[in-house]
Amino acid sequence: MIKFTLRRLLSGAVLLLVVTSASFFLAHLAIGDPTAGLLGDSATPAQRAALREQLGLDRALLTQFWDWFSHAVQGDFGTSWRNFQPISDQIALRVPVTLSVVVAATLLAAVVGLAVGVATGLRPSGILARGLKLASVVLFALPGFWVSLVLVMVFAIKLQWFPAVGYVPLVHSGTGWLRSITLPSIALALGAIVMIAEQLRNGFLQVNNQDFVRTLRARGLSSRRVTLHVLRNASPAALTVLAVMFVGLLGGAIVVEIVFNLPGIGSLTQSASQIGDIPVLLGLTVVTVVFVVVINFLLDLVLGWVNPKVREQ
Amino acid sequence: MLVAILALALAACTNAGATTGSRPDDGIRIGTLLDVTSWDPAKADIGFDGPYLSAVYDPLVALDKDSNPIPALATSWKYSSDRRTLTMHLRTGVKFTDGQSFDAAAAVQNLKHLKAGVRSGQTYANVDDVREVDPDTIAIHLKKKDDALLYYMGLGRSWMASPAAIKAEQLTARPVGSGPYTFNTGRSTPGSQYVFTKKARHWDSGTYPFGTVSIFPIPDPTASFNAMLSGQLNVSYANEADIPHAKRNGWNIQSKVATWVGLQFTDRTGKRLKPLGDVRVRRAINHAFDGAAILKSVGQGAGVATNQVFPAGDAAYDASLNDRYAFDMDKAKRLMAEAGYPDGFRVSMPMSSIFQGWQPAVQQILGQLGIEVTWKNMSPADYQKNAATFPMFIAVLALDSNPAASVDGRITSRQWFNPNPSTEAFPELSELLRKIGATTGKEQLALIRRLNAEVTDQAWQNVWYQANNTYFSIKGITVTPITGMMFPTLRFIQRG
Repeated sequence: MIKFTLRRLLSGAVLLLVVTSASFFLAHLAIGDPTAGLLGDSATPAQRAALREQLGLDRALLTQFWDWFSHAVQGDFGTSWRNFQPISDQIALRVPVTLSVVVAATLLAAVVGLAVGVATGLRPSGILARGLKLASVVLFALPGFWVSLVLVMVFAIKLQWFPAVGYVPLVHSGTGWLRSITLPSIALALGAIVMIAEQLRNGFLQVNNQDFVRTLRARGLSSRRVTLHVLRNASPAALTVLAVMFVGLLGGAIVVEIVFNLPGIGSLTQSASQIGDIPVLLGLTVVTVVFVVVINFLLDLVLGWVNPKVREQ
Repeated sequence: MLVAILALALAACTNAGATTGSRPDDGIRIGTLLDVTSWDPAKADIGFDGPYLSAVYDPLVALDKDSNPIPALATSWKYSSDRRTLTMHLRTGVKFTDGQSFDAAAAVQNLKHLKAGVRSGQTYANVDDVREVDPDTIAIHLKKKDDALLYYMGLGRSWMASPAAIKAEQLTARPVGSGPYTFNTGRSTPGSQYVFTKKARHWDSGTYPFGTVSIFPIPDPTASFNAMLSGQLNVSYANEADIPHAKRNGWNIQSKVATWVGLQFTDRTGKRLKPLGDVRVRRAINHAFDGAAILKSVGQGAGVATNQVFPAGDAAYDASLNDRYAFDMDKAKRLMAEAGYPDGFRVSMPMSSIFQGWQPAVQQILGQLGIEVTWKNMSPADYQKNAATFPMFIAVLALDSNPAASVDGRITSRQWFNPNPSTEAFPELSELLRKIGATTGKEQLALIRRLNAEVTDQAWQNVWYQANNTYFSIKGITVTPITGMMFPTLRFIQRG
């Protein structure tokens, strides 16, 4: 297990190094000189030159990279080119917002997806199973922003049950926090729910026809215990989908954060891209890669717990 | 179903209507387009930072609704006879939130900080030195006469911060000012909501009628409009397309021109593209574009069709000049032929996503003159960096509501969009600029109007129209738009 953990951590570190290095050079190549965008309409060439010098953009690119890298490994991502605030502070403020929505959406998708997956797996030709088929087509066809807008129009504008925009931190108000993340989480979770339910249903049907299930039934186990055995064997594919979905939801959060005006890492990524704030983009890249590595690592651990064969591999 | 269950459960825990619906309290909730750039006035933007900074800082000079400088922390001022020294008398008894007093030493330190600032420095480019005359008086010494200085100071370039906070470089993290409100960090969420609570005592308390001010940065126009519809906001930066819906809701709608849209020429002497050096070619281009039609089709009709860079309604604006280049394609072709370009010429122009709305019109109209455009695609950030390296480009540029500032910012000074003002190559223009520099008041304004006529005659730019900024507010609240401020400061948001 220790060897397995070390191997995963090492591959994660290599992934982090490769992605962030590539991001650094690609961002500088794509954005070039960001001073005009940062200073606005009235900037003179002299002001732009002064800002270039202040930001260290007059140095060789390799020197800039080493400077950024040597600080980044110590957790210091520098300061934003737009507002000159420490990037670590900005990311620390925004990660809880995105995580609140994405974790809530993932939990919602897991719980509802599990229930629907098992129910449709047990009755593959029932009404629920047919409904799931229809829902999977419809929800995949609908764009995320459209679903978000419908939720806002019905539940925020018409019924006024939830706020249309904004985020309330958990430390300010528990119910305020829950109300502010409910609609974004549902908007984000809908697609994931049908995907997980479909995976689980397919896995359930596959495992249900295997010899060991027939043996379990022949030994007189209750159908509840048989279902649990089937579920355990059918779940790896759904768990993998769930982990992939979590990472995907981090990306999908950009749209939801814009529609609901949530100050998460998605909206920060968008605003930093627009003005060419490279240090912020690099900080966000590091955080996202760390999320991906950690989620994949946790997935491996859970899969190993569910299925001992994985541990041996 | 799931949403309904959640809503019922949450409604049991809290009063949903209290935070989502409109309520007749003394607070105001404002939705603006952008987050605050910086709490440090030297690093802040004039454009959208106004509402945030005006809550926590007092300026030395403010503007009235007609953009005239009015007293704030500077109670009066006077120029020397050569207009190279500006003496300001300061308000007494003002304290910053950290307990420091506002006095001449504090004002000097602030102005030096602003002069050195990466974003504020341009305003003070002509300032040579700032000195304390006595504890309540300062003198600003200028390298040369600067008729736009007080306007820019009032626009948002003279916010006064605590000298101790400037020295300790604390302003990037939090504001320390003497403004009418205090920043309520406990109720604020950076990037989402900023809450300000009115001070019990402030020297200008009557100008600020709201007990609390909440500002929500909402970059997406649809999200902003939804927040107005749900009652979360009672003032918002608006999208023109939503005006009919706003009218149906009975909201107040306030608009004013904020930018000019058209083609900016960067090579009026024909150094890089010979045809542009011929005024007949520039005039032909002006005649070829139907600004009113472009305003209607691309600009949603939200603005004023004009060919001037002085804002419509401004003292230097001359409505009679708008007929100078009436749409006339035949005349445009004749002018091209007279200039020796009956078959047109080739030109490279930059293009990025935000200007694509105008691209087909430009391609087609210039094509009718035989001008073949090769588009160079680039990112929006690169557009601003590279656009002026092309002989002409599609521009959306901010307007200023002060004639002297318009002359300086749009015509004579070197800017990213105007790297070669080349005024010296136009003798009549140079002479007018010399006279403008030597005069003040009504005499100067008359000369600026003549300059406006001259640059129009020289087809200095090809302006199609001036585009509006629009604000919605619920009944009982009014917003007074100010050209030059993308979102007005709090003194322009009132009950009524």
